[in-house]
Amino acid sequence: MKINKITVTFIVNGQEVTLKVGSKERLLDTLREQLQLTGTKEGCSVGECGACTVILDGKAVPSCLILTGQIGGSEVLTIEGLEADGKLDPLQQAFIDYHAVQCGFCTPGMLMSAKALLIHNPHPSREEIRTALEGNLCRCTGYEQIIEAIESVAKNCQ
Amino acid sequence: MISYEFLTSKKIEEALDYLDKFSKVQILAGGTDLLVNIHKESPRLPHFDYLLDISNIPELKFITLVKNFIEIGPLVTHFRLIEEPLIKGNFPILSTAAQTIGSVQIRNRGTIGGNIVNASPAADLLPPLIALKAEVVLTSKKSERILSLEKFLTGPYKTKLQADELLTKIKIPLLGDGYYTDFQKIGRRKALSIARLNLALVTKIDEKGVFHDTRVVPGSATPYPQSFPVTEESVNGKSIFNIDLEEIGEIVSKEMVSITGERWSTPYKKPAIATLIKRALEKIIKEAKTNEN
Repeated sequence: MKINKITVTFIVNGQEVTLKVGSKERLLDTLREQLQLTGTKEGCSVGECGACTVILDGKAVPSCLILTGQIGGSEVLTIEGLEADGKLDPLQQAFIDYHAVQCGFCTPGMLMSAKALLIHNPHPSREEIRTALEGNLCRCTGYEQIIEAIESVAKNCQ
Repeated sequence: MISYEFLTSKKIEEALDYLDKFSKVQILAGGTDLLVNIHKESPRLPHFDYLLDISNIPELKFITLVKNFIEIGPLVTHFRLIEEPLIKGNFPILSTAAQTIGSVQIRNRGTIGGNIVNASPAADLLPPLIALKAEVVLTSKKSERILSLEKFLTGPYKTKLQADELLTKIKIPLLGDGYYTDFQKIGRRKALSIARLNLALVTKIDEKGVFHDTRVVPGSATPYPQSFPVTEESVNGKSIFNIDLEEIGEIVSKEMVSITGERWSTPYKKPAIATLIKRALEKIIKEAKTNEN
C-alpha cells in the first residue's frame, strides 16, 4: 500500500501550523482531528450540504473536497477564528439576536459562507445573500431568520 | 480501499515529468468531482497509484486574448468564468452556464479543465464550449497537440487524453458580429443541481433577420454532449420573423431519439428538449428584434 505523509505549512485563524498529513486526509479531517477545531462540521462529505464550509484564501470552500496536501502556503479561516479578543463577530451576534440557530449543525457553515460574502460584498442585496447561501442546507429550515441576520449586519456595515 | 501516493507540482514541466515517469497517475485539480468519487470509492474511478495535484500551478490559471482567440488556463475556476470581463464580454453563454454549476463553494473550487476532462454527460460547460467551437491543447513531455473539444470527447466520462498528457489550454475563437448565444438548463432545483437537461445555442442573425451558422449542443440528452447537425440545418436559412418554433422543437426531439434510441427517460426528455430550444430561440429572437429597433 502506497501511503505517504506530506508535510504542509499553512495558516489557520492567523496562526502558522506545520503538520504531517496523510495522502487521503481532507482539510476537514485535519481541522477536526489534528487541530481539534471541531466547529467545522462533517455533513454529506460530498460538497452538497455546506456544513464543512471554511474560508480558504478569502473564498468559501467545502473543506470535505480539499486534501490538506493541496493547501501549503494558504490561509484558512474557520468558525473558531471569527471571534476576536473575546468579542463575537457581528455575524455571530446577529445569528443570536435574530434566532437564526435551531439545532445549530449548519450554523458554522452558514456563518462562514456569510462571512465570505461580506468580505467581498459588504452591502449585498437579499438575492445576493440567498445566492451566497445556496450551498448551505439547514434541515430545520430556518433560512428566513438566517437571511435576516445577515441582512442586519450588512445594513450596519460602514 | 483506495490508496495512493500524493504528488504535487507547482510547474507544468514538473507535472509533465511525473506523467512521463510514473504510470497510473490520476490528476487532481479542483477536486469537486474526483474527491467525491474517492470518498465514495466509486467504481467509475479507474485504478491509480499516484494522485498528482496540479491545483497550485500558476501557469495554468490565465485568461488572455491572443489574436482572434480567448485562451483559458484549465485551472480557471467557475467563479472566474462568471466574474472575468473577457469572458462575460465575449462569451456570456459561458458565464451563464458557470453560474448554474453547484454552489458558491463548488464554483470557487471546480475548474473548467476538470469539467472538460471529467467529461460527464451532464457537464454544464461542455455544451457551450462545443457550441463555441472550443479547442483543447494537450501537452506531454514529448509533444503537443490541438484537438477540437467535440473530437476530444469520445464517450461518457471518456476522452482522448493520453496517460502522459495534460490539458494545458482551452482556445475559443471570438464570435464575429451578429452572433447571439443562449444557455438553458433544467435541474431538480436551482442550486447544486446536476443538469437533467441543458442546451447551448449559438447562431448568427444577418441584417435581414435570417439565421446562419447555428450550433445546437444539448447536454444530458445524449451519452456525451455533441452537436445536433439536423436541428442546426433546420434553423439555418429561417427568418426570425416566421420561424416555426414548434417544428424546430419536434426536429430536435427526433434528432435526440435518433442518437439515443427510446430509453426510459425519453418520454420526459422529448418535450423537455423541445421546450429548451424554443426558450433559447425565443430569447435570441427577442434580443435580435430589440437590437434592430
